[in-house]
Amino acid sequence: MISGEHIRPDFIEFAPENWMNIGGYWKKVLHQVVEKYPVLCHGLSLSIGSPEELNREFLQYIKTFLNEYKVQLYSEHLSYSKCDNAHMYDLLPIPFRMDAVKHISTRIQQVQDYLQRPLVMEIVSYYTPVAAEMSEVDFINEVVKQSGCQLLLDVNNIYVNAFNHQYDAKAFIQQLPLDKVAYIHMAGHEQVAPDLIIDTHGEPIIDPVYDLFEWTLQHLQPVPVLLERDFNIPEMAELQGELSRLKSICHKQWKLKDELVA
Amino acid sequence: MNLLPDTYHIQQTFSAYCRTGEKVTLPGVAPDRLKHYRRLVFNMINDTMEGAFPIAFKNIPARKWSKMVKDFFSHHACQSYQVWKLPLEFYTYAVEHNWEDEYQLPYLNDLLAFEWAEMEVYNMEDITADAYTLTGDWLDAPLVLNPEHLLLSFSYPVHLLAKPKELLRNKGVYFVLLYRHPETGNVEFTDLSPWLAFLTEQLVLGITVRDILDYAPQLNITETDTLEQDTLDFLKHMQQQHFVLGFQS
Repeated sequence: MISGEHIRPDFIEFAPENWMNIGGYWKKVLHQVVEKYPVLCHGLSLSIGSPEELNREFLQYIKTFLNEYKVQLYSEHLSYSKCDNAHMYDLLPIPFRMDAVKHISTRIQQVQDYLQRPLVMEIVSYYTPVAAEMSEVDFINEVVKQSGCQLLLDVNNIYVNAFNHQYDAKAFIQQLPLDKVAYIHMAGHEQVAPDLIIDTHGEPIIDPVYDLFEWTLQHLQPVPVLLERDFNIPEMAELQGELSRLKSICHKQWKLKDELVA
Repeated sequence: MNLLPDTYHIQQTFSAYCRTGEKVTLPGVAPDRLKHYRRLVFNMINDTMEGAFPIAFKNIPARKWSKMVKDFFSHHACQSYQVWKLPLEFYTYAVEHNWEDEYQLPYLNDLLAFEWAEMEVYNMEDITADAYTLTGDWLDAPLVLNPEHLLLSFSYPVHLLAKPKELLRNKGVYFVLLYRHPETGNVEFTDLSPWLAFLTEQLVLGITVRDILDYAPQLNITETDTLEQDTLDFLKHMQQQHFVLGFQS
């Protein structure tokens, strides 16, 4: 990937948590990558929905890291992964409630103020609502409105959620504050039951998700688009095929030649 | 905090279920969907431990291993926001809860320590070595060592043997030096005699080889004619291996 011989992304995204305070071989690789490609970061451990206080030491590391590697965009997840002072290393669903909106919005503002940059929050996939008192889309709209954050629109997540919770993906997207979308993710998933899809990032993108992506682009200004693949990684040529398809859709819908697709 | 106690409690209950798998009732939650969260969260922890401790995973019966990981994740509040550091917490938990006795695996602490050390040295932050020259006086000049290293002592030769029965038969005193190759980044390790472990420890402190050799009789080391030459041969070999970098300049 670094040589650009087998796959040619326009930028690179990585999780800062996996690279902070790392030395040796991987630090050399990191430096090679950031010299060659623009860098975006997608965090894993901020846990914006946690009931507890923000971890100031962690935020300090993040700020230093983002500045050191000239990271152009920092995104995180609209979920929580830490509770009762214990990390769980996965994205747990936040109850769609107004008190949670206020709590999260305050925390997003604190993070944005500290980092001196906007947070781009990803709408996560989820498999069950939890004690919801409002709709998902109202919850997201309120968080964006109260916090001033931007959105990461993972089109596969919307497809997965629409399938799992039986709603119309396009209608959902149309109700979002689309002018706040700063970044798009695309990925594959796995259907594990007739009525349940798990967002695995372990399979190729399926055609209906490409279709939803193309439809979505008609409603957005150009933003970077990332293909996520966490495991079950195929040959680079296959991934390049997916990138090329995404790029061709961006080119068709956005009439630009310099889309950022990675 | 803007969260109402009820919402806080719901989040606590949800996360407690993910950690323990013990049945909970949450408003609006479908149990058949909830179980996927426990599966996904626990698989992540299990995979991380399997990846970090491949020899322990292979040596320990599957039921014991599974019980260990479940016990750890249920009762220990994981602190690291970097998942690659979580195996250190697992190892520490094992020591603190005396798993050697509980699971009747006397070599467990040594094995977990060794496997974690490999990962720690591989990933540790770069450390700049003191300035050095490539030639100098082996006996009287302080040596500059590769600072990216760990010196460990074990009661079982977990760095030499893999089979549990062989480990148990060879209980003793062992020393192992792990260091990161400055060019490849690979972790190399070498078994050390007690004397060479002492030597390494003193060299790190900046003491010269001659002064360390002078101390040998006080360690009850039977001084032989070859001790000095053997020591220098070892250090010259370790220079070729990029552990001894050179002579303080």
